[in-house]
Amino acid sequence: MSYGVRERLFAPDNRTQVVGLSVAAVLLVVAPFVLGGYQTSLLAQTLIFVVFATAFNLLYGYTGLLSFGHAMFVAASGYTTAKVVQQLAPALGIADIFGGAELLVVWLLALVLGTVSAGILAVFIGYLSVQLEEIYFAMITLSFSMAIFVIVNQDIIGSVLEAVGIGGGTFTNGSDGLTFRMGEVNLFGLEFRLVNIADPTAFYLLTVVVFAVAMYALYRIVNSPFGTICQAIRENPERARALGIDTQFHSWMTFIISGAFSGTAGAMLVMLKTGILPADAFWTSSATPVVMTVIGGPYAFFGPLAGAFTYEYLRWFIRQVPLLEEFWEFSFGFLLLIVVLFFDNGVYGGVRRFRAWLAEARSRYRDDGIAGVVALVQETIVGALRTAAEIVRSLLATLRQRLRALAARVGLG
Amino acid sequence: MSNEHKGHGVDSNGSTGLDRRGFLAAAGTGATAAVAGCSGIGGGDGGDTIKIGGVYLLSGVAQALGTSSANAAEVAVEQINEEGGIMGQDVEIEVRDHGEDPPAQIRSVAQEYGADVMIGLTSSGVTLGSAPTIESLGVPFTLTDIGTPFITEPDTETYGNYYESDDGKAAFTPNMFRTNANTSHMTYGIAKFVQEEYGASRVANLGPNYAYGEQCWDYFKAYSEGLGVDHEYVASEYPELEASDMTPQINSVLDADPDLVFTSFWAGDATTFISQATEQGLFEQVDDVFDTIGADPTVYEALGDTTPEGIHMSGWYWPTAYDNENNQAFLDAYREKYADDDTVPSIPGFTGGSTWAAIYMYKKAIEAAGSTDPDDIISELEGITIDNDPRGPSTIQPDTHQANAPTVLGETSFDADVPYDGAGLVDTRTYTLTRSESKELLEGSGLGPGL
Repeated sequence: MSYGVRERLFAPDNRTQVVGLSVAAVLLVVAPFVLGGYQTSLLAQTLIFVVFATAFNLLYGYTGLLSFGHAMFVAASGYTTAKVVQQLAPALGIADIFGGAELLVVWLLALVLGTVSAGILAVFIGYLSVQLEEIYFAMITLSFSMAIFVIVNQDIIGSVLEAVGIGGGTFTNGSDGLTFRMGEVNLFGLEFRLVNIADPTAFYLLTVVVFAVAMYALYRIVNSPFGTICQAIRENPERARALGIDTQFHSWMTFIISGAFSGTAGAMLVMLKTGILPADAFWTSSATPVVMTVIGGPYAFFGPLAGAFTYEYLRWFIRQVPLLEEFWEFSFGFLLLIVVLFFDNGVYGGVRRFRAWLAEARSRYRDDGIAGVVALVQETIVGALRTAAEIVRSLLATLRQRLRALAARVGLG
Repeated sequence: MSNEHKGHGVDSNGSTGLDRRGFLAAAGTGATAAVAGCSGIGGGDGGDTIKIGGVYLLSGVAQALGTSSANAAEVAVEQINEEGGIMGQDVEIEVRDHGEDPPAQIRSVAQEYGADVMIGLTSSGVTLGSAPTIESLGVPFTLTDIGTPFITEPDTETYGNYYESDDGKAAFTPNMFRTNANTSHMTYGIAKFVQEEYGASRVANLGPNYAYGEQCWDYFKAYSEGLGVDHEYVASEYPELEASDMTPQINSVLDADPDLVFTSFWAGDATTFISQATEQGLFEQVDDVFDTIGADPTVYEALGDTTPEGIHMSGWYWPTAYDNENNQAFLDAYREKYADDDTVPSIPGFTGGSTWAAIYMYKKAIEAAGSTDPDDIISELEGITIDNDPRGPSTIQPDTHQANAPTVLGETSFDADVPYDGAGLVDTRTYTLTRSESKELLEGSGLGPGL
């Protein structure tokens, strides 16, 4: 046993964390046996997006660089995955070597190569992008991702390969994208379909493993000296430089890590959807992790997690109500607007404040019994109304002032 | 995909109770919904209604198209319920938009709504991309609006497996069927017409810049060659999908001085093309213009009096092209339902016939199977004859799952019998094509018949 594991696990500071994590782990493992097929795949998809958004947030919330092109990593990884499943695996003869476990090997190979290809893409694009900051950084990442969208949508790779005499002019298959089937696994006499839409338990459990490993790795990165430097860059790049940090190099490394983890998520996502379309590289797909992170709260490690869950389940909820579904873009936007306007640091900030409120309620209960809690509820409501009234009043005052100033300027007053 | 939320979150000073209460309410709703979701799992069979699920594009460029399919399906369901339902059970239908993630929408309709059978889809790309999802759901799924011949092409040996290579053209899926004539069939109709009426000509192409536009042109050329017509292909241009300005492409086609122009625009793109080509004088400078699936009442209604007369457009269905009582029943039912609705024409669109036929096909198959067991329905569907297809009785080919319903080609005219101000089709001709005929004509092109 390594040093002090027991002590550290059961130290009072860590106890709630350990208990919380254990409960979450048990829930995640039990989920597919309780939930039906649709809910299980929705949960799998959500977990994948959690990894994607958390990887994105390494750059955004921690380093202060807003990338608006992260879908390019999903695309790089996704097309690699599709190629592995469609062509590389059969060419390598994996079926002959591994027999019934073939698909698990293909899965692992796709995951690794997908991550690597996204990482390699990040090396090049990151180097060029970190030369810029703020809105220019967002614009250059957006431009690169749109360039990649055009390359896969027009199948430029296919045309180039054909020009040099390889293949018949198709590589990314243009606007139809690449779709594949993942068949049966036969492991120790246990036969199951790896990606089964009707009963996605197998793939879900793989997702949980990838999710746990990726989140743990990201958590360690964030809480390492490396992660601290990221935050220093976010807070004040000049001062970070004065401390001897090569901020550009550090941002570049963060970009690569973020890209590679986005690739991991991309490979899982594309296998879950059993295909990739050029639209997965379009800028709207890059907006997804941005929206998730912003609604979840970018300044907390678990913010993107809260955001991804809110996003996916909000979308699911809208699907249940035909009237909302008919105008789903509007209803989704409206519900998100409420979150952005009224939750400080997103949903995660809301959760945190709610917990603080509960603690306050508990202490009131200890002091004054139920009457104390009722009083707190009253105070909260009155406080809310007062704040709302205050906001309206100040808005009106500003408006009046502006109008008067305007009137004076055009010579009316 | 919502795109309006970028940048930083607003830092509202949040020490208010409002957000807490809001959060509570949201959490409560979420929990309730989750519980409801759990208890709803495993629906589908066992209920006393038969559920039909539909997924179409109901927003954006193809809205009119998807909406017209949904309308036709709803009319058919109402009619069936009036006649006593299916096996004495009421029929229920729910149609949803593709949304930003069509496979997820399809899963939701199959697994949450519990659809016994499904209809749908408005995009070939979405169809090919969703096919593995649909296959693993196992629910019978009938395409009513889909062009790509690949999805009904089972011959993976000759044409390559779509799912196992980047240039495969056979994507047959065991539980998917199609009631509309596909691109292979449509382009044959046009190629045949051109052969009979014009012979070898200077032909130019204009089509939307995605797989559909490219496929239509490839198939048209292959069929023309198979029919022994030695066209000279002088230009080929692809404006972007949903382009607002097609004049550069129209001009470059005009510069090539073609006799005939082949196009594959549909819905909003067809409207844009026709109005801008009219401005550029394209219709006066060429002998004829063809379009694969632009012949829809909504297109002609939007164009008003700008539609040029005498060009040839085709579709999967045109209301006046079939002289039979089933078509009349369809038109009557449709008119009755939508006569007072100002938002849609009171005649069915070009996807109407195939959608109506799909619903009646399901009725027949479920009654023959005696249950809503998906496998039983699928085996009934293979080789089924849809007796009251408005386009005349059609049969689902057992090997390919493609219906042999005809395609229709007609001439635009303001004399057409339509309930709106605008043009319609007259002198309609229908074309049928068998797999063996198609195979012979396409020989050497590498393209599959999909029939």
